[in-house]
Amino acid sequence: MKVRVRIERLLRNHRILFGGLAALLLIFTSFFYLSQRGRDLPAALVANRVLLFVLWYVNVILILVVVFVLLRNLIKLLVERRHRILGSTFKFKLVATYVGLSLIPVLALFFIATELLQGSIDRWFNTPLAPVLARGNAVAQAFYDRVESTSLRDAAIALRGIQGIDLERAEDRPRLTRRLQELLAELGLDVLAVYEGTEFVHAVLDSQSGIADLPEPGRDFLGETARIGKAVRMGVPAGAAGRLVLAGVSQGPQGGVTVVAGTLLDPLVAEQTDQLVRDFQAYRQLEVQKDDLRASHLLLFLMVTLLILLGSSWAGLYLAKRVTVPIQALAEGTRIITGGDLGYRVKVEADDELGVLVDSFNRMTAELASNKEELERSNEELMEANRLAAWNEAARRIAHEIKNPLTPIRLAAERMQVRKDQGDPGLGQAIDEGVEIIVREVEHLKEMVDEFSRYARMPRPRPAPVDLARLVGDTLGLYRDLKPGVEVESRIEEDAANAVLDAEQVRRALINLLDNAVEATDAPGRVTVSARRENNHLEIRVADTGRGLPPGSREKLFLPYYSTKGRGTGLGLAIVHRIVTDHHGTIRVEDNQPQGTVFTVELPAS
Amino acid sequence: MRTVLALLGLLLASQARADAAIHGLQVSLDSNRVVASFALTGAFDDPLARRIDSGLPTSITYEVELHKDRKRWYDNRIDRTTLEVVAVHDAVARAYNIHFKLDGELVESRTVRDREALEAAMTRIERMPVFTLGEDTPEGRLIVKVRAHLGTRNLLSFIPVAIHTEWKDSNKFRYIR
Repeated sequence: MKVRVRIERLLRNHRILFGGLAALLLIFTSFFYLSQRGRDLPAALVANRVLLFVLWYVNVILILVVVFVLLRNLIKLLVERRHRILGSTFKFKLVATYVGLSLIPVLALFFIATELLQGSIDRWFNTPLAPVLARGNAVAQAFYDRVESTSLRDAAIALRGIQGIDLERAEDRPRLTRRLQELLAELGLDVLAVYEGTEFVHAVLDSQSGIADLPEPGRDFLGETARIGKAVRMGVPAGAAGRLVLAGVSQGPQGGVTVVAGTLLDPLVAEQTDQLVRDFQAYRQLEVQKDDLRASHLLLFLMVTLLILLGSSWAGLYLAKRVTVPIQALAEGTRIITGGDLGYRVKVEADDELGVLVDSFNRMTAELASNKEELERSNEELMEANRLAAWNEAARRIAHEIKNPLTPIRLAAERMQVRKDQGDPGLGQAIDEGVEIIVREVEHLKEMVDEFSRYARMPRPRPAPVDLARLVGDTLGLYRDLKPGVEVESRIEEDAANAVLDAEQVRRALINLLDNAVEATDAPGRVTVSARRENNHLEIRVADTGRGLPPGSREKLFLPYYSTKGRGTGLGLAIVHRIVTDHHGTIRVEDNQPQGTVFTVELPAS
Repeated sequence: MRTVLALLGLLLASQARADAAIHGLQVSLDSNRVVASFALTGAFDDPLARRIDSGLPTSITYEVELHKDRKRWYDNRIDRTTLEVVAVHDAVARAYNIHFKLDGELVESRTVRDREALEAAMTRIERMPVFTLGEDTPEGRLIVKVRAHLGTRNLLSFIPVAIHTEWKDSNKFRYIR
C-alpha cells in the first residue's frame, strides 16, 4: 500500500519528466519503425526489432535513472559533509562502511571467481585430451588420405585398363562390362563407373557390397574431375552401411573419359573414424568459443559485482537516512525548544529505537512545558507573597517612622496641657519648647514623606557629558571636616574624568553612599571615592574603614525600607540601586581590606 | 596476476580491428539489372579460419546499397540488399559447404574442398545481380556502396561490438530508360 502511494506521488510530482521520457520513447520508436520499414524487411522481423528497441530503451533509461539517483545521493552526501550538516558525517561513515565492507569481499570474490574460471578454462584446454583428440584426428585424416589416394590410383588403373575400348560402339559394350568386372575384382573395388564428360556410360557393382543403387557422383564432381583431372568425394551409400569413397580420374578436358572408382569402407571403421573427426571438431569449436565464454562469464561476474556494490550503497544510504532524519528532527526540535517554544513536538515516522527516542523527547518536552508552567505559577505566587511581605514591611516601617515623631508631639502637647491646667507660670516657656518639638517632628515627618515621594517619582536619567572629577570633588566638599578624625578623599584617574551620565542622579547616589560611609566610620578613619575606566565600563568605588556590615544584611541591603541603622527611611541604598540600574549599570558591596565596606558601581562608559 | 594478464590480453585482443576492406568494386548494367563484382581482402585471418575449421557456421554479410549521387549533399539511398555468405565445414566429408543468401533467402549452395576455394567463394563476388531498376528509379547518376560485416569482437573483453569494413563506393553510372 505504501509502495503504491509512493509510486503515485512520484508520478504526480514528476509528471513532466515521465511525460517527456514517454514522448521521447514514442518519437524514437516511430523513427526506428520507419527506418526498419524503409528496408523492406518482413513485418514479423520489423515487429521483433521494434519490440527489442523499446525494451532496450526502457532498460537504458532505468539504468540511467538508478545511476543518476545513486550519484545524486552520493554527491549530496559529500556536499552535506563539506558543509558539516548534522548527521552527514554519520551518514558518510555508514555508507562508506557499507560500501567498504561489501567492496572488499565482492572484489575478492570477483577476482577469485575470475581466477577460478580462467584456471578452469585453461586447465580444461591444457588436459591431455587435446593432443589425444588431435592425434586421433590426424590418424583419421591419414586414413582418409590413404583411402582417397588408393581410390585415385585404382581409378587411374581402371582408366588405363579400359583404353582401347570404343565406348561409342555398342558392340564393344560387353567387352567393356567384362573389363570393368575384371578390374573391379582385381582392384577390390565396390563400384566402378565410366563417364564421357558428365554423361554416364557404364558401371559395375560388387554384388557383395550391399550397395543397392549406383551412387550418383554429381555434376559438380564430374565437372571438377574433368577440369582438373581428378576428384574425390566421400558420402553415405544408398542401401548400405559405412562410407563410400568415390575417386574420379579423367583423361583430359571436357568430353574426355572419366572413371569413377568407389570403395566402401567397413561400417565400424568408418563410424569410429568419423567419430574421431567429429570429437576433434567439437573440441575445436569449444576452443574457438573460449574467449567468448570467458567474456560472457566475466561480464556476468562484473554485473553481479556492480549490482552488489549498488545494493550496498543503496542500503547504506537508506539506513543512514532512517537514522539521520530523526536525529536531524531532534536537533531541530532542541534548537526550537531552546528558543523557548516548549509547545514544539518532533514528528518523525519511526517504529524502532529512534522512534522510542523521539517519543521520549516529546514526553520530556511536554514535561518541561508542564514544569515551566508550574514554576511560573509558583514564581508568581512567590512574587505576590514577596510583594505582600514588602508592603507589610513598608507599612510597619512607615508606621514606625510616623509613630516616632508622634510620641514627642503627644508628650509636648500633654506637657503644655498639664502646665496650663496647673496654671504653671512657666507655661509660656513650655509652649515655646512644645511648639519647637512639634514643629521639628512635623518637619521630620515632612522630610520622610518627601523622601518617599522622590523615590516613587524618580525621573528617568538624562545622560550628558559630565566632568566626573569635578562632580566627585564638589560632593566630597560637603563631607570634609564633617566628622573630626574621618578623612574624605578622591582618586579619579584621568581616563575616567569625562563621562556621560545624569549628573544630578549620580550626585544623589554618591551622597547616599557617602552618608552611610561617613556615619559608619569612627575616627580615626578614611572614606575614599575612586573612579577608573575598565574596558567599556566606568568603575566608581566608595570605600570606608568603618565598622562593616552586619552578617546576613547584604542580600537585603538594596531593598526599600531596609536599614541597618534602626532609623532613617531605609530608602537611601534602594535609591542608589535604582539610579545605577536606570543607568544600565550594576552595584555590588564587599568587605574593604583590612576593614570597612566598599561599594562598587559599574556604569557603561558611554 | 594471471587474471590481470588475461584481462589485459583480452582487452588488447578486443582492440585489434580486422584490417579488411572491399576492393575492385565494379558495377555494370545488364538490361535493367545492376550487377556488382567486388572482392573482400584482409578478412580471412587466422581467427576466422579457425572458426570455420571448427565447424561453427561462419558468415560474412555484404551490405549493398544503391544511392542517387548528390554533389553537395548526402547521397540519397534508393535501395538496399544484403548478401550473406555462410560457410560450414564438414570435417567428415572433408569439404566446406557454402550457402549464399540474398536478403535472407537461399540462392545458391556450393561445396569446395580446400581453403583457397573457400576463401575465394566467400570473398570474391562475381557479377552478382543486386538491384533491379525500373520506372521509379530516379534520374541522374547512381552509385553502389558496399561494406562487409565480419561478426563481432569483444571490446574491453566483454562488450560485443560489430566489426565491419568501410563503405566502398562504385563508379557512378546512369540508368537510361
